[in-house]
Amino acid sequence: MSDNLARAFESAPLRPDHDPRTGAEERRHIEIVSPSAHKRPRVVYALSAVACVGAVIVAQLLLSVGISQGAYEISALRASQVELGRTASSVSEDLIRVSSPQSLAANAEALGMVSNSSPAYLRLSDGAVLGAPSSASGSQAGAASLVPNALLAGVPLVTQLPAGGQGTSVASAAAATAGSAPLAVAVTDGLPSPTTR
Amino acid sequence: MAKRSMSSKRRVAATIVVLVAIIGLFVVRLVDIQVVRADSLSADSLGNRSVEKTVYGSRGEILDANGVVLAGTVMRYDVVVSPKNTSTFTRTVNGKDVSVPVAQAAAEIGAITGQTAEAVQGIVTDSLTENPKSDFAYITKQVDVDAFRALDALDIPWLYLYQNPSRVYPNGAVAGNLVGFVSGEGEAQAGLELGQDSCLASNNGIETYERGADGVRLPESTVTTKAAVDGSDVVTTIDSDLQWFVQQVLAKQAQATGAAWGNVVVQEVKTGKLVAVADYPAVDPNNVSATTNPDDRGSRAFSASYEPGSTFKALTAASVIDAGLADPNSQIVAPFRYLPANGANINDSSGHGDLRLTLTGVLIESSNTGMSKFGELLNDQQRYDYMTKFGVGSVTESGFPAEDSGILHAAENWDNQTSYATMFGQGLTTTALQVSSIYQTIANNGVRMPVQLVSGCKAADGTMTEVPSAEGTQVVSPTAARETADMLEMVYQQGWLAEKWKIPGYRVAAKTGTAQMPDGKGGYTKGYLVSVSGFAPADDPQYVVSVSLADPVNMNSSAASAPVFQEVMSQVLKKYRAVPSGAAAPDLSGTW
Repeated sequence: MSDNLARAFESAPLRPDHDPRTGAEERRHIEIVSPSAHKRPRVVYALSAVACVGAVIVAQLLLSVGISQGAYEISALRASQVELGRTASSVSEDLIRVSSPQSLAANAEALGMVSNSSPAYLRLSDGAVLGAPSSASGSQAGAASLVPNALLAGVPLVTQLPAGGQGTSVASAAAATAGSAPLAVAVTDGLPSPTTR
Repeated sequence: MAKRSMSSKRRVAATIVVLVAIIGLFVVRLVDIQVVRADSLSADSLGNRSVEKTVYGSRGEILDANGVVLAGTVMRYDVVVSPKNTSTFTRTVNGKDVSVPVAQAAAEIGAITGQTAEAVQGIVTDSLTENPKSDFAYITKQVDVDAFRALDALDIPWLYLYQNPSRVYPNGAVAGNLVGFVSGEGEAQAGLELGQDSCLASNNGIETYERGADGVRLPESTVTTKAAVDGSDVVTTIDSDLQWFVQQVLAKQAQATGAAWGNVVVQEVKTGKLVAVADYPAVDPNNVSATTNPDDRGSRAFSASYEPGSTFKALTAASVIDAGLADPNSQIVAPFRYLPANGANINDSSGHGDLRLTLTGVLIESSNTGMSKFGELLNDQQRYDYMTKFGVGSVTESGFPAEDSGILHAAENWDNQTSYATMFGQGLTTTALQVSSIYQTIANNGVRMPVQLVSGCKAADGTMTEVPSAEGTQVVSPTAARETADMLEMVYQQGWLAEKWKIPGYRVAAKTGTAQMPDGKGGYTKGYLVSVSGFAPADDPQYVVSVSLADPVNMNSSAASAPVFQEVMSQVLKKYRAVPSGAAAPDLSGTW
């Protein structure tokens, strides 16, 4: 940056032998450049360099504070992600369990439904009745659950839930209704029906 | 110049002094760190080390045809204590430090895991008597998330919880005999879990990271040294709802008739897919130990072969018609006892005079002597070839582990009696699957489709691999198959069980069988294996249903299996919306 070199103020002709004019006043002269002219800029430069270094250090500190702050945040979020994942798998396990055929059948039975094994179809194109329609008698399959599912132990039936959840399991409830003939499910207070307003 | 030299000397001296001082400082610091404080520093660094963590790959699921999970993987937790560290500890409750003795902690743990406080403490003391420095003892294994959270909240310093991925079977015993189960260590033990292990298996991965003194993972320090690989899903052809229904019906009838065991196979005619394979007794893979007999833990439909009996007559009839040697109206005289020229001795199950029967009539009456007179039109080798083409004597294409091929001796090894007995399903053995496959072939215009239980191995990106072949083989001519089906429809209409297995609105083809069961000592037991096999709708066959009940002591005839056939077939026709039959059944005469 400092520029205290001697320099020619007037450049000599590139090829002096071709120049016809030669004289004392045209001789090159050399002069010492005063160093005082460059003193002030050097201080400024030093200061600015120090300031730069300082700024870099401060920025780096702030950055690493930010990153470690982020690390704590990531750690907390990771932990809550794990927790939420656990909750999700736990509730989906519950859902899959109650949607098993044993659970559905026991609940349908508890709601007073019976299966009809003799299907009949109405063909819309000509109104023909296909098959031999008959009333539902409940089939053999509609009795006690004979297909065990250890996961359903302690899961209450849907009809038992509003009454404070006595906690009777599907299996035992189905076993209890096994006595009441497979032909018709005993419904004491009528079939549940929706309230229409 | 002298002054300058002085100052320069002083400067050099000062520099040396400063350098020596700095180096001295470093040496002191070095000795301090490397020698004096070495132990405490390396102890500090323990908490600062990089941590290695197992990343669990999840074992693939076993799905039914509609994507219902039959077997899945869930995270469970093992509860572990460090017996040598088991002591009273302090716990902060509402900002106050409370001292918790071991007995109280044991009671708290037991309340969650379902053990008594004594049992928990017993585990600790047992472990300590065995090894006073014991640092590891299982309290219990595989607790669920709720128990995990409750145990974690106890804040007991000597209690640890380790992840342990575990298998769950949401539908319990529905298809339990097919799905199989895995051991506590996650090793495949039976069924599809074992047979499809190469598809299902996962690989655990390892990742390492560094953590600070407070346990927080340092940013950018995670290195996955080995990636975890999840297993692929096995997609079966089973319909879980139908499977449940079939198992329920089978179990009910098996209990009512006192049967030792039984099975029902439901197969799609056009594709050979198995939509339900029910076994009784059923096994709940969630609770395998509840099934005490090891034979009940597998699927007898695949693994048990027995003499099929009269259901096999359909095969002989189809073979004879295909060879052009008879048709449904061909006539013979069926005596009670038939003594063919080769010295065999054939008789029917109950005494009767000579009957003038057509081939249709032979099937309706299920006459052994009548069948023999038709069967002898083919030589042994020809009948053997037909049987092998129908799949008798070799395992099916299902890929189920430990499947039985049944016994079919080469034709040249048949003795005189066997030569005739094989015409009506004795002197050879078949599995329930093979019988179902024979009826599938007859129902499908003589084209046998590969028996299919698994439709493929589905990777995470949805691509299916190991898709089985769906190429059928023509076993008998379409005409022979059609005529056999017509005769079986006559059996359904006019056989002795006609009232028991009636399905209003549909035309059905079916045949009963009553076979003696081997006692394992070269003789026969007193019990019978009673069966019904058939398909519907007869005018456009869609499904084969094959029912077998072993030794139904309260009702030792195929009348025991007929109601199961009727209910299952009704449900199948309803479920798959099979259109009720319109055209009238053919009219074939059984007598002449």
